[in-house]
Amino acid sequence: MRAAIRMEILKTKGRKIWLVVAVMMGVQMLWAGWAISNKDANDLVQGWLFFLYQFPMLNCIIMPVIAAVVASRLCEVEHKGQTFKLLETIVPANRIFDAKFIWGSIYMFGAALGQVAIMIGMGLMLHFGGPVPWGALGGYLFFTLAVSLTIYAFQQVVSMLFANQMVPMTLGLVGGFIGLFSMFFPQGFQKFILWSYYGVLMQVGMNWDQNTRAIDFYWTVIDWSGFVLLFVFFGLIYGIGRILFVRREV
Amino acid sequence: MSNVIETEGLSKEYGNVYRVKDVDLLVPEGAIYGFLGPNGAGKSTTLKMVLGLAKPTAGEISVFGKRVNSKNRLENLKNVGSLIESPSYYGHLTGAENLQIFQTLRGVPKQNIDEVLKIVRLDNQKNKKVSQYSLGMKQRLGLASALLGYPKLLILDEPTNGLDPAGIQEMRELIQSLPKKFGMTVVVSSHLLSEIDQLATRVGIIREGELVYQDSLMKLHQYSQQHLAVRTMNNEVTKSFLSQNGVDWEVQDDYLIIPQMKDSMMAEISKVLGQNNIGLVRIEERKKSLEDIFLELTGTAVSL
Ligand SMILES: Nc1ncnc2c1ncn2[C@@H]1O[C@H](COP(=O)(O)OP(=O)(O)OP(=O)(O)O)[C@@H](O)[C@H]1O
Ligand SMILES: [Mg+2]
Repeated sequence: MRAAIRMEILKTKGRKIWLVVAVMMGVQMLWAGWAISNKDANDLVQGWLFFLYQFPMLNCIIMPVIAAVVASRLCEVEHKGQTFKLLETIVPANRIFDAKFIWGSIYMFGAALGQVAIMIGMGLMLHFGGPVPWGALGGYLFFTLAVSLTIYAFQQVVSMLFANQMVPMTLGLVGGFIGLFSMFFPQGFQKFILWSYYGVLMQVGMNWDQNTRAIDFYWTVIDWSGFVLLFVFFGLIYGIGRILFVRREV
Repeated sequence: MSNVIETEGLSKEYGNVYRVKDVDLLVPEGAIYGFLGPNGAGKSTTLKMVLGLAKPTAGEISVFGKRVNSKNRLENLKNVGSLIESPSYYGHLTGAENLQIFQTLRGVPKQNIDEVLKIVRLDNQKNKKVSQYSLGMKQRLGLASALLGYPKLLILDEPTNGLDPAGIQEMRELIQSLPKKFGMTVVVSSHLLSEIDQLATRVGIIREGELVYQDSLMKLHQYSQQHLAVRTMNNEVTKSFLSQNGVDWEVQDDYLIIPQMKDSMMAEISKVLGQNNIGLVRIEERKKSLEDIFLELTGTAVSL
């Protein structure tokens, strides 16, 4: 297995996958900077809450795009060079699948970590109210990663099964938009859509007072049943996808 | 001598049609086995099943005398190198890096990389990106990947695909040297008999999924000599006369092709023809070309 992962790393040589992640993090940073720039000192007191509310929203579209691009970059070289028919005479097909997933997760982990770094960096720079909420940021990292890895698993399955990478890219984008729009749907409905789990597992809620037009953020209770459901999603996608890949004839 | 590959009733169905049917492949140890058939006959499908890349609809496969199942498949394949249909490669990596991937996954010594690069004469191009390789170079890289572990069995599916005449000649010489040099057994598929003539020691011919011939190349050569061509002043009457006497015939231009027969029998025929005032003007011993035989066996031309 270690050899298989090391070879995945070698295959990414010159593929500039980290650049994709970095660019997307840049976008996220610009957006965060812009969103915070029209806040006054009063709002900044709730700065941490604001970020922990807004970042998951943006993740609905940003993370599926990263997942789609990374999975596609990792899998496309195999289709292009028709390598599966040789690899599968050397390594068990499920190990090829696992190794790719493990290496792909590293990028998703990098992206989630990058977001936390952006939040902490900006929070300290702009003197958000209160100490750094390490617990909530840890929770953010954990939930973001849980959702992102599930979406990544989905993307990898599609990228491995279809030689034409337009299929996974399209599905990834469509999924992201559905996730974004599902924010306007009721909670119960959101739980059926994989891409809306960034919203489902949010730790911060928002009140908007119609009269005073004041926005107020507050800590919510974590939706653990949603988390369990996400776990089920992951198991099904990974399990079924891997079986499909192993059974596929090349 | 034992068989390196043995299949029994190997069959594969794609969408309700048997593309490979009841194939009993026998590849003896140390042989160069020429696996022949026209496009779409089922060569690649058969070889993929042997490698476990496609699941047989029916039948059994034994490699190195062991029945292959999903559990021991990869263990068995440790001693098998393969190149199916087209070479597998990572275009964005160099030739050497490509081989490094397969060498590491196979768990064979690193020095094999340089050795096989020398064997296929790519050592001067090993640091070039494979996407910049010519088709022939990619094909040779594919062969190098197959040779990496010095396998006991090498399965090459149309290895001369895309090679120029010089490349084909080079590939032939290379394949020919493998059994002696490394003790390998080689299966080479092709849709041209001429390509494996003088190369293969044993031939299997597949036609529409069925194995129609499997024996030594020598037997095939012998088979190609057994015909007579006769021309008479009235071939029409001669045809019915031959049929009445139970002699098979076939028209080829102005000639009737009949099987080789004893001199006494031929004398009898010419005598009767003379009695009926049909002048026998030519009798020739025809040696069918191997290609003719192949065409007949594969059904692309009229059959005898
Ligand atoms: N995955 C598949 N699905 C459906 N039909 C297939 C599949 N693979 C092969 N076939 C069919 O099976 C038949 C045999 O194909 P195969 O590739 O084995 O032929 P071949 O002898 O290797 O031909 P060639 O000389 O062109 O390489 C063809 O009719 C082909 O269309
Ligand atoms: Mg073929």
